[in-house]
Amino acid sequence: MILETETQAKSFYSDKLKRAVHLLLFRRGKIPGAREWEFKEKVGKNYERVLAQLNELLSELDLEVKKVAEPRTETAAEGGRAGLEEARYFVALKGTLGVKEAKMIGWRIDNLAALSASVAYLVSKQGKAGREDLEKLLAQKFGRWKALTLVDIFLRSGYLEEDDAGTMSLGWRTRSEIDLRALMTKMAEAKV
Amino acid sequence: MDVKLGVETLRQYYPVWETFEDHCLDAHTINRLSEVVRLQNTQLKFQSSALYADPEFIARKVERMSEKRLAEVFLQSWHPVTELEQLTDGVVSDALDYWNVLLPISERWKRRDYPQGKLPETTNSDTLAELGIQGKEFGKQLIDLWNDLRQLYNVEKKPVDYWKFVKGSSYQETVQRAYHVSFLVTYGYATLQTDGDQMVLVPNDAPSEKTNSGAVSFPVAIPRGL
Repeated sequence: MILETETQAKSFYSDKLKRAVHLLLFRRGKIPGAREWEFKEKVGKNYERVLAQLNELLSELDLEVKKVAEPRTETAAEGGRAGLEEARYFVALKGTLGVKEAKMIGWRIDNLAALSASVAYLVSKQGKAGREDLEKLLAQKFGRWKALTLVDIFLRSGYLEEDDAGTMSLGWRTRSEIDLRALMTKMAEAKV
Repeated sequence: MDVKLGVETLRQYYPVWETFEDHCLDAHTINRLSEVVRLQNTQLKFQSSALYADPEFIARKVERMSEKRLAEVFLQSWHPVTELEQLTDGVVSDALDYWNVLLPISERWKRRDYPQGKLPETTNSDTLAELGIQGKEFGKQLIDLWNDLRQLYNVEKKPVDYWKFVKGSSYQETVQRAYHVSFLVTYGYATLQTDGDQMVLVPNDAPSEKTNSGAVSFPVAIPRGL
């Protein structure tokens, strides 16, 4: 009897784990990962326990499930569904990559350097700065034309966001992927 | 902003107010002051956090650090998201729409067939002579012009002014004479010299066979109003 219950619980979680992995890994919209309400709907109310179990499994592969709070959208203000749960879950690398590995996945060193400078600068400005200020900072290091291109690349990839007034802020990918405290500490400590 | 001074001022004048509007103004002031306190609180919290850094300090660091060092700093704090891209309903729908309006390959190739014009043909020297480009006609024109130049030189007994010689009845004729004179000079039938600001032509008795090692290309612009 006890054995039967254990088997049932195991298969129950196994099935939910699969559904959770599918939600997390397979990209369905513009942004990868899945929202909290999607997990509630497709995995069930105990989705947090399922995600905790999944996190244990993924940690062996140097991956982790990450929860990132999304800024409230207009839909949220209108009382829409997306407004109820604004957290999004991703699977991200637990450790870090080396320079060679970053190159292997298609990143150029100068682009990474520019992204580092952009994010650190925006953080120092409490998350917001004018586009011209940011371009000026990058232009001093990378040249005018490259600075313009780089800002566009970071906007397209979601690391930065720009509003109608031309104010730059940190994008969803920065909030999800970058440990800002670590970045600022390393930046302050870095020897020139 | 000195919030304390603001609150004390409100307290000082509070007993004096009589009308409802006066109290509303006070309430509005308190509301604004509380907003200032909230913003100051946020600023203090940010400054006390590990995220605080002076923007000027960051700008100087970025300027002085090498690109590799900047990238290394970034990589130590970067945990990229893993994802698998896949076909979504929307993408499949777009692909189907594209496929449905796509013409057969034979039709598409037809659209790329450009009408072929007449192929280049060879021409004979008579046609070129008729066009005044080559042949006896062109040579005859050169000789006639050379004779004119020699005749004028013999009459004036001095080098002939370039512009006076090339000037024709129309602009087209002037250009044509200047064009022929350039051949006279190149082939050694005449010499182009400068006399102060003026350019003058001196005819030779016979075409010079010698190659002038000091010859230079000398462009002459022909003004419209000549």
